[in-house]
Amino acid sequence: MTPNLSRALGRRSRAQIVALLKVQAKLSLREPYALGVGVGLPTVLLVVFGFISKAVPGNVGSTGLNVIDLYIPVIMVISFIGIAISLPSTLVRDREIGWLRRVSTTPVHPAQLLGAQLVINLVFAAVAIVVAMVGGSVIFGAPLSVDIPFFILSVVLAIAEIFSLGLVVVALVRTQSAAGVVGGVLFFGLLFLSGLWVQPDQVTGPLQYILLYSPSGSAVRALLYSVFGEAPPVTILVAVIGYTLVFAFVAVRYFRWE
Amino acid sequence: MPDPAGDPRGDQPAITITNLVKRYGSLLAVDDVSFSIQEGEIFGIIGPNGAGKTTTVECISGLRTPESGSISVYGLSPQHDRDKIRAFVGVQLQESSLPPRLRVGEALELFASFYPTPLDPQEVLESLGIKRIERVAFKNLSGGQKQRLSIALALVGNPRIAILDELTTGLDPEARRDTWALIERMRERGVTVILVTHFMDEAETLCDRVALINRGALAVLDTPEAIAAQAGVNRVRFTPSQPVDDETLNAVPGVQVIERKGRYVTVMGTGDLAASLLNALSEKGVHVAELEARSGNLDDAFIKLTKDATPRVSEEVHA
Repeated sequence: MTPNLSRALGRRSRAQIVALLKVQAKLSLREPYALGVGVGLPTVLLVVFGFISKAVPGNVGSTGLNVIDLYIPVIMVISFIGIAISLPSTLVRDREIGWLRRVSTTPVHPAQLLGAQLVINLVFAAVAIVVAMVGGSVIFGAPLSVDIPFFILSVVLAIAEIFSLGLVVVALVRTQSAAGVVGGVLFFGLLFLSGLWVQPDQVTGPLQYILLYSPSGSAVRALLYSVFGEAPPVTILVAVIGYTLVFAFVAVRYFRWE
Repeated sequence: MPDPAGDPRGDQPAITITNLVKRYGSLLAVDDVSFSIQEGEIFGIIGPNGAGKTTTVECISGLRTPESGSISVYGLSPQHDRDKIRAFVGVQLQESSLPPRLRVGEALELFASFYPTPLDPQEVLESLGIKRIERVAFKNLSGGQKQRLSIALALVGNPRIAILDELTTGLDPEARRDTWALIERMRERGVTVILVTHFMDEAETLCDRVALINRGALAVLDTPEAIAAQAGVNRVRFTPSQPVDDETLNAVPGVQVIERKGRYVTVMGTGDLAASLLNALSEKGVHVAELEARSGNLDDAFIKLTKDATPRVSEEVHA
């Protein structure tokens, strides 16, 4: 391959990537499920728990933490859940209506379409992280002391785990209506397990164990330790990594483009 | 296989299909089909529903993998060289929608970015008469507009081969004529076009050659005129003064197909059909009014050639 040709091909694939990102960004703004549940909902929750924290300051379940301190990681994980649950609603539809098949007749593989959508969703997740961290500490006074390496690791693992779970739904569910039902049930299940309604420190026994080591609960724990300057326990990290591997395997194994 | 008669523009076949076989489970969808398509040709594939038309073209575009047999597209295999082939084969799928909120202009810009040497999306919009709906979302398009966009997407990559499946199904007569004009323009640009259709007038108007696929097998391949002549069908339509049963009509020499619609009886067959019919009917004391006789067209040939064949499935299979 001559240098000129490979440069031309490089330009072409860059042009493809830019065009895909542009279209996926526009569609994500016109069908704002991911934006609404992934950024809007966490923002509302931040305000709600921020004011609760100011009204009822002090120790939750003798953890030494305020309400807002405990809920910053929960809010971040809820953003990831919201975005992951929005993946099936668009991807299952795009497959059902034959859009992914249509794209597969062009030089672009539908995987690139999915990739572009994931990039846009990562941007939404990043916005939600900034809202939760900056809003939580600056506006509502959470005394964060972020352990940067563990924080980055926890964020990457949490997003990988929860997004993979969304892709499992895309892989296993055939129709848009089924995706709505499965996504809805999963959404509230994961919200509960993340500790939105009950924190693991407020309960004992098996429920506490479930809340700590569930897919969304373990992601919350990993983030909680790392935003308060501590290394997450190995058991928590192993749980998150284990879930990620299982979900990713199932998603890849059963994924269909048409 | 009959001689590739008609109007092959290039000597170079663009596509060669040899002994293609494709099964869905126990259903034999394509059964040992062979033909080749010349460069620059507009090649029609006709046949009843479920005959294997869509399956055949989906094997050419690499969407499906044949059971056995081989397909060569400019010497490349749609299955093994799929990436190379996708760069110069434009495809319009029978059932395929776009994301509801994607706009016409955006879809075209996106597809143009996929190809190495695309056409200017603005020019494609104008030539298809959809410039004024450039900013309309897919979900708000009419059936005809969706169809034009679908064609536009198949063309914007500046393909050497365009595969168009059920191009004008669901279009009103005017939109159909406009679409046909577009295909004629593709012919002028030297694009090889494969047109899957069940409209005989469409095949007759546009196609240089037509392959009739019936029950997964190639029934006939020739120019539309030659197929009509080869079938040797004549058509006589009349109103009898009293009811005539099929038995009487079948007894007339040359009669092959009988159709009844309202007060009309239409008989298709070979030989001097009108004269034989009139003789036979007057012997029975039946008078004939509104007599209309003409030599057959592709439509008649199609009916004759597929007459005995009941399709094994009622719709094209989508696995």
